[in-house]
Amino acid sequence: MTCHDAREQFSALVDDALTPSERAALDAHLATCADCRRELQRFRDTVALLRAVEPLRAPAGFVDHLLEATRPDPWYRRLLRGLFLPWPIKLPMEAAAIVLVGIGVALVYRATLDTRQFAGGLSGERPAAESPVTESLGRRAAAPARELSARRDLPPTGEQDKPGEQSKLKDQAPGLAETYQAKEAPEPPKSPATIAPRSLDAAVEKKHEERGETQAAKQAAKTDAADATRAALERARTSGEAESLRSRPAPAAPRSQADAPPGARSAPPVAALRFAPPTVSGRLIVSDVDAALRGLAEVVTRLGVVENGRADASGGQIVELSVSRDAYPELTRELARLGRWQPSKEPAELPAQLRVVLQITRGSPRRRRRNFRRSLRSNSIAADIRKTGGTTS
Amino acid sequence: MEGLTGDDASLVDRLRRGDPRAFEDLVIAYQHRVFGVALRMLGSRAEAEELAQEVFLRVHRAIGEFRGEAKLSTWLYAIASRLCLNRLATGERRMARQGEETLTRLASREVGPAEEMERNELETALHRAIAELGEERRIVVVLRDLEGLSYEEIATALELELGTVRSRLHRARMDLREKLERFLP
Repeated sequence: MTCHDAREQFSALVDDALTPSERAALDAHLATCADCRRELQRFRDTVALLRAVEPLRAPAGFVDHLLEATRPDPWYRRLLRGLFLPWPIKLPMEAAAIVLVGIGVALVYRATLDTRQFAGGLSGERPAAESPVTESLGRRAAAPARELSARRDLPPTGEQDKPGEQSKLKDQAPGLAETYQAKEAPEPPKSPATIAPRSLDAAVEKKHEERGETQAAKQAAKTDAADATRAALERARTSGEAESLRSRPAPAAPRSQADAPPGARSAPPVAALRFAPPTVSGRLIVSDVDAALRGLAEVVTRLGVVENGRADASGGQIVELSVSRDAYPELTRELARLGRWQPSKEPAELPAQLRVVLQITRGSPRRRRRNFRRSLRSNSIAADIRKTGGTTS
Repeated sequence: MEGLTGDDASLVDRLRRGDPRAFEDLVIAYQHRVFGVALRMLGSRAEAEELAQEVFLRVHRAIGEFRGEAKLSTWLYAIASRLCLNRLATGERRMARQGEETLTRLASREVGPAEEMERNELETALHRAIAELGEERRIVVVLRDLEGLSYEEIATALELELGTVRSRLHRARMDLREKLERFLP
């Protein structure tokens, strides 16, 4: 056995882990090697030093801390931990979820609002003041209207009737809106349900403004509204309505035309006599609004149809046409070629001269298909279109 | 549970039955040993305390998996050793572990009577020498010479061959012998 071999076994020797034969061989070497004996002694001393090291002690309170940690947390703490921890991951995810839900709600709300406005305005269930044309014009006038009076921002109630509001709209947006409103002003006070969309619309608009419309735009709208108000007052004075406008403060607006001063009743605005609710109204869903408007212009020219006016609508245009009864079938065929024509109001017996209001909107392919199937099921006009080979898909 | 002594067997039984006092008894009985191994291996008191807590929490959760083939203490040392080695190997060190820093801290902190001894030169030299060993040798010498485990228990705890344990222990002791030369008689 060499010294190296002998020293390799020192550890096992110290721990009594050598077999008897190993022990005998090592003892024999040590008996003859003083260096290895000295080295073994130093090795033993080292191990003795190690074994004499004082054991370390856990810090005071270790047991209590540990028992505390094993106790189940109260339910609210577990709930909070589940909701927010780890916060660097969960908080951004939750914030993103809230934003997405908010966007979703806004989209659904907007779609619902459009549908309500359209359905209500064109089916006659709602007053004409809610029709698409006045709606869109009303939107334009909404900001100045708020500047003049905060009434539109009030929550919808049964007492907040349309005539008062209509007169305001009429003042601020002379034109198509004025005509419809003037005609519809004598309507009795509306139920909250019919007013709700308008108030909601105002709320949406307010939000839009808060979000980012410039002060300049507001100022311009204000100025326009003031001018419009002055002009309308002037007109109303001439037609005897000034008295009614002055005598009606905004909160007292629910008065119908029946309650209005005799002057206002006996001398309604001239414009009101010229306009009436449309004979036919409906939605023309197209893939390209501009192309449809160009196509419509050609049709108008070709069929001798008169275009009374236009207004912007969300995602499209509203066009009012005057057409003779004879030309109407051809007009519907042309409309079916331009896009998908969905009349929502179409009397069985047509007068000699029809007023047709179209809302031209852009539809997604999926929505177009769905609406088309729906229209096939419910609309007699759609059946006519199929018979005449109209291309609507 | 043939590997367990009477006390350990009773403790394990109570732990398995969910006796709330059993866990407290377990911690009281083994806290210093587990903490000692953790501190020798990690060098930081705070980190060692955290790791020792983790050891007991794992025991608390996994007592059902303890088959009783080894001593309860061996099982605890096994968990502690593996957690220490994993932490050292993966670099999962929130607190710096430097031998010098640890020794300075051990020698200069406000300490209790048991730690007062660490202030003397020999203790400091011993801590330093142990801390400077490689991790694989250090855990073996700690378990053997400081904690008193047998070769077989170390092999079980570290899942090593007996020959590997013997070899690493010998190398560790030889290293220490050289480092502690001046303290030897």
